[in-house]
Amino acid sequence: MQKRNPFLTAIGALLILLFTGGPILLAFAGSVIPDRVMFSPDRGLFDEVTLENYRFIFTGELPPAYLQSGANRTMISDAARQAPLSLWNSAQIAFASLVLNLILGAPAAFIYARYAFPGKKLTFMFLILSPLVPAVALITPIYMMIQAAGLVGSKFAIIFIHAARALPFTVLILSIFFRKMPGELFEAATVDGCTRFQTFFRIAVPMALPALAATGLFAFMLSYAEFMFAMVLSGDSSTRPMSVVMAALARNPDVSWSLLNTAIFVAILPTLVLVALIWRFVIADLVRGAVKA
Amino acid sequence: MWTIGRFPALWVLPVILPVAVLTIYPIGYALWTSLHQVMLLFPGEDWVGLDNYKAVVTGEYFGAALKNSLVFTLFSAPLVVLIGTATAMFLYRDFFGVTALRSIILLPWVLPGAISAVLWTWVFHPSWGVINSTLFKLGLIDHSIPWLSDPTLAFVSITVAHVWTQVPFTVVLVMAALSAINPETIEAAVVDGARPFQRFALVIFPQIKAIIVLLLVYNALIAFTSYDLVYAMTGGGPGTATTLLSFQIWKESFSMYDFGAGSAVAFIVVAISAVLIVAITWAIPSDIFGEDEPADAKA
Repeated sequence: MQKRNPFLTAIGALLILLFTGGPILLAFAGSVIPDRVMFSPDRGLFDEVTLENYRFIFTGELPPAYLQSGANRTMISDAARQAPLSLWNSAQIAFASLVLNLILGAPAAFIYARYAFPGKKLTFMFLILSPLVPAVALITPIYMMIQAAGLVGSKFAIIFIHAARALPFTVLILSIFFRKMPGELFEAATVDGCTRFQTFFRIAVPMALPALAATGLFAFMLSYAEFMFAMVLSGDSSTRPMSVVMAALARNPDVSWSLLNTAIFVAILPTLVLVALIWRFVIADLVRGAVKA
Repeated sequence: MWTIGRFPALWVLPVILPVAVLTIYPIGYALWTSLHQVMLLFPGEDWVGLDNYKAVVTGEYFGAALKNSLVFTLFSAPLVVLIGTATAMFLYRDFFGVTALRSIILLPWVLPGAISAVLWTWVFHPSWGVINSTLFKLGLIDHSIPWLSDPTLAFVSITVAHVWTQVPFTVVLVMAALSAINPETIEAAVVDGARPFQRFALVIFPQIKAIIVLLLVYNALIAFTSYDLVYAMTGGGPGTATTLLSFQIWKESFSMYDFGAGSAVAFIVVAISAVLIVAITWAIPSDIFGEDEPADAKA
């Protein structure tokens, strides 16, 4: 390739970094700078950097600033303390959705990738178009359905809905992976007398393990970030996932800014890991073609 | 590719059924509800024909909400695709730290809308938001700019936050499309003396045009149906300045408990989305169905 101007490259990279990471860095800054410093213009911003908000969220120990006389105790909301538990809830729900997606989605993806059958085009079309129906238009009927089943307030309903909403993506992504596998392997297996299921389970699955991990992570991410169904269907704090707790905290005008930012940053941390994993397994594979060439 | 004589129900139905339960049934139900009077506080579900639609369309919010949704869609979809494509072209190159940057760009995608909303409220906040305080320190303004309480500026702020959340997906897909381009065609263009802009317009763009059209339609659909940023950032205000049609569904159903009216708005949104979905099916590359030979046969 031809030479590039390294100066322009640096500026471009910085712009992207600021636009994408800027708001997240601000949240981190906001979480370690106490409100009283933030709102008084004459103090240096980084004079009193503190981790007391993090300590409060994980141990319940009140930050000293709020114990002083005259401090506004309502600014410190116990809702922020739900953050760790809600992360655990989110992790459970998202992991269950991941497992369901792989168990249900992988066989279907295999069949779509390797076989022609009546109704294939119609059902596949239905699958990949269904996520485009706006969720906000479906929420009321789905809520009533779940209510009739008596499952409002349980994790099962959220798991089912998150899994079902991720399934079309799982099938689409996995079928692309299964189609890329060399066909001779499957022919050899059939010649050796493997049934269709044995071919899938003994040959396709072991070869697709990285792809399965990647697609599973994707389903995990979709569930982790989902907010609307989780909000309508979750019950008390023992089932509430992270997105719901964060929204409740964000809409409470009395919560101290630094505490809100701390809760948000605690919720963002796992996504940093997730993003690195997703890039490593999913997208690097997608983009590899030209880098190799 | 082998052929199976009958529909492989055992393999496929575990996927089709849950998805159908969560789409076909609710759409049917929304249609039914929109034709009946369904209010939480009043018993009975009387057939009212198109009354709900009439009431909603002639209501004071509908015109404003529809206009807002259309303007929002018209601005954000092209912006997302433009910024996303430029970013993808940039990140496709090789330079120090590009791998880290490619991961970081995904962050907005993984965050729940509620968190993105808070992050941007923090940026736009009138008194201690980073934009206002920076402008203030630089001496460019002497009073704070009401980013979230001025009708036009609130709309701009919502659009910026929405674009931020949608750019990563576009970047990923455009990079995938770029990786499918045969690098020899670009090298040939360089040898022939094509300038960077010519290389893009004549060699690269024609090969990623399909995905760009697809992304435009897809982003129009996403913008038209998005609601969580509005919900958490402005609550539709000031006045009706940021009330989108999709947010109106929420308001009718869950804050006024008029499920009939809510479903009527929902069905109008579904109908408009259906047009966009049909447009997507035209734009989808035909080999996605696996009707042609698998990739390995071509290689």
